[in-house]
Amino acid sequence: MSTARLLLLVSLVLKGNINFLKVNYPPKLALFNNQNAVYSQVHIMEEQDKSHLLPYARRADFKVGRATELSGRDRRLYRLLEIIPGALSWTILVGMIMASIYAPFFAAYFIIAFSIYWVLKTIFLSYHVRYNWKRLKHHMKIDWQVLVRRFNYEHFYHLIIFPYYPEPYEVLEEAVKGLLNAKYDHKKMIVVLAAEERAGAEAIGYAKRIEENYGHHFGHFLVTTHPANTPGELAGKGSNTHHALGVVQREVVAKYNIPHKDIITSIFDVDTVIYPDYFNCLLWHFLTVADPYKSAFQPVPLFNNNLWEAPALSRVMAMSSTFWQMIMQERPEKSATFSSHSVSYQALYEIGYGQANVVSEDSRIYWNLLVANDGKFDVVPLSYPISMDATIAPTLWGTIKNIYKQHRRWTYGVENWCYITYHFIKNKKIPLKRRLSIIALQGEGYSSLVTNPILLFILGWAPIFLGTREFHETVLSYELPIMVRNLLIIAMGGLVVSAIISLSLTPPRPEKYPRFKYLVMVVQWIMVPITMIVFSALPGLDAQTRLMLGKYMGFWVTPKRVNVK
Amino acid sequence: MPIEPEIKSLSYGRRKGFFLVLVVVFILALPAFIFYTSGYRLNFDNEETSIVTTGGVYITTDNLGVDVYLDEEKIEKPRLFRSAYYIQNIENGLHRLVVQGEGLQTWVKVLPVDSYIVTEAAAFNMPELPHIRPIASRLNLSGQGVYVVAGSTSTPLFTKATTTGNFVVVNRATPASLRVNSEYEYTVDLFATTTATSTSVFNRLEEEIEKLSTVPASTTATASISYIEQGNMRLVPRGEELSARWIGDGSATPHYFCAPAQASSTIAFRLGMHVMLQLEEQRLSTTTPLHTENNRLCRTEIRLDRKWQKIKYYEFFPQSSDLVVLRLEDGLYVTEIDDRAWQNTQLIYPGDKFEVRVTDTNIYIKEDGMYFELLTEIPEIN
Repeated sequence: MSTARLLLLVSLVLKGNINFLKVNYPPKLALFNNQNAVYSQVHIMEEQDKSHLLPYARRADFKVGRATELSGRDRRLYRLLEIIPGALSWTILVGMIMASIYAPFFAAYFIIAFSIYWVLKTIFLSYHVRYNWKRLKHHMKIDWQVLVRRFNYEHFYHLIIFPYYPEPYEVLEEAVKGLLNAKYDHKKMIVVLAAEERAGAEAIGYAKRIEENYGHHFGHFLVTTHPANTPGELAGKGSNTHHALGVVQREVVAKYNIPHKDIITSIFDVDTVIYPDYFNCLLWHFLTVADPYKSAFQPVPLFNNNLWEAPALSRVMAMSSTFWQMIMQERPEKSATFSSHSVSYQALYEIGYGQANVVSEDSRIYWNLLVANDGKFDVVPLSYPISMDATIAPTLWGTIKNIYKQHRRWTYGVENWCYITYHFIKNKKIPLKRRLSIIALQGEGYSSLVTNPILLFILGWAPIFLGTREFHETVLSYELPIMVRNLLIIAMGGLVVSAIISLSLTPPRPEKYPRFKYLVMVVQWIMVPITMIVFSALPGLDAQTRLMLGKYMGFWVTPKRVNVK
Repeated sequence: MPIEPEIKSLSYGRRKGFFLVLVVVFILALPAFIFYTSGYRLNFDNEETSIVTTGGVYITTDNLGVDVYLDEEKIEKPRLFRSAYYIQNIENGLHRLVVQGEGLQTWVKVLPVDSYIVTEAAAFNMPELPHIRPIASRLNLSGQGVYVVAGSTSTPLFTKATTTGNFVVVNRATPASLRVNSEYEYTVDLFATTTATSTSVFNRLEEEIEKLSTVPASTTATASISYIEQGNMRLVPRGEELSARWIGDGSATPHYFCAPAQASSTIAFRLGMHVMLQLEEQRLSTTTPLHTENNRLCRTEIRLDRKWQKIKYYEFFPQSSDLVVLRLEDGLYVTEIDDRAWQNTQLIYPGDKFEVRVTDTNIYIKEDGMYFELLTEIPEIN
């Protein structure tokens, strides 16, 4: 390929309009490509009234989802940002192979350094998990209702939104029953079952049945139906929630004149089953935090609703995800919202309810809030659990595929790095140190997620196989695998901590399962090196590569099963 | 009831402190680990602790039932890869390696070990007594070989060997109860073929010269000679001598063909006078020139030890390009091409009145009209 053609190819990739990559632009975008700002019809509609929005949230590009929604220099900048994570990960992986071939001594020293780093990182993160576990246990023992009583809290409403696609009736019922078990005045709850029109009449019918059976227990109960094929939207949880919030504003908040500041919104995955004191715990944190309207509240997701049903592979992945969230609970300045979380209605209203055009909407909503509030928005960890489903399917292969797809969707959260960086370049009101720190931390997170397991468990051995003959004859070449193996064994010690904590968070054993399964639940942790590669690194690399090539992903709904909690 | 949770979240200061401690650990550990894996060790032998540089030895063995000794000290068996030993923490200098096992011949070599470098070696241990598997012309119903003899059935048939295969000896065969042994027919065919290698080195050389004289002048000599090759190793007869020649890529030359670019006396001391002499000889040669690989001088050919006897037959040892089977005047030997210090040469079948054929997987012998396979590993007896 000539240099000119290569440059042309790079230029086309940067522009995001290379044909062979099959980038599909919504037809309407053609109308806006010659303008200097943004454009989806949803955004255009929102432009009708932006007076309630924060100043930065009024920008036309505030809710940009991908480069193709922009034009001109902004589009090129955003496209470049979409390319960077994938390009960086591939550079690291290919660079490791090249170094192993051409500079094996350097590669060997790097692997030793990386293995030591991994051991220390394991110790560091295990420390966080262990501490949060202690705090989580403590929080679960507290009677939060008593703590809340010293405040004047009766005027607060909890708005709970369950966006869902086709789900079994039982899953919806368990979620709503969980609310009924909550130690909070149910009349101060606004419950929304947010159905998708494309899910069909049966799925919407389930919500209606739930409304008939349980709706009268709550202050307000809405069943919303998100229209299918709304232009400018990406079908998924984000757009559904966005639509539901709009309906709530019209049908409840405005109608009953409820002050925005008196509503705390919880956006829950439909398999979320709350613990009885969740709303009191949430309210206590809301009432005691420095600025509740500039804070998002993050519980610990325990994927344990169906833990006994799930295969070992699924359990390991579920618990690993929980552990990661427990770590983030102890370092909130580095975290964003994830999955089910809560935030004040006022904050959401000020940004126009988040985005309807992204895959990773759960984290994006936090970045929207951070950017719109000029960096003055924080995540407040609740260290209080909510229960969700581990990913399973009728067959093991189906489970493997579902876990892979779920993690690919989660790791597609790398699109948020592009969003953050883009707006951090635009919004100079956010302190520079905070901007740089977040960009670096998030970038390192997404990069290490993809590269670390592959470097550690596969490419760590590359110099031994690919190195020069001169290298093969050295003590270094022979000692390297021994050293790396020993360091990894030490690092695996962290799994002991994982196994202990995991057992303590496991729901009581149903009688149909033998006690022997407890042993399996301990031994299962030896699968971590494999799960790290297959369900973290590979889906992450897949997601980053798709974004890099402009083959944007859609929202894949993780199939849920009947709750057996 | 307290008004707030008693356990606070992990403070930023505490996290940062812990992080910095780990950073310090990393900074201290990294050079220590790099130096260790490169061969540096702390020496506590003297009153003052000092840092010494070490090398290693990597030795592979064909047999699992052997013990490895370094400077008369037994090396513990490795947990994984049981046929390979990696011995670390060896100081600079010459070290004596011994590999031995019960019923096996001993392999001995004195090898130089350099700091930071791992010296490689491949040991082999042939049985002390020949083990054979008779190949009879007929088999009985239970698959045993049947030998029909004229005299007493109690007279031993294979006197030189410890027979491992089951067979029976009878005076008179009962044709109806016996069947033809197809392996016997295969073996007979094998010996019926007069291969180039079945002749002596002298005869073979004469044949090659004759071939050269009959080919057109434009044809290269090498095009008409069929050498015995295994992988990238070729056996080349030169007069009464036999050499092993590396014909592969120079960068992949086996380590034992090469010597560090050092003074001749040092090479003679470390690898043997014969190695130094061969290097000097090949330095001046146009047919077998020296080449340099990674600052080492590499020979093209290594002369094999024929124990001052005539070579009657030669072939690569089955499935090996490092070992050669030599039929000498007083028996059949296996020798290694690696001539550092010396070549270990082990007798695997004594005598001068037998014929031998080596296939890709087996060594067959014909003696006194009987055929058998010579086993090079002691079979496990159930």
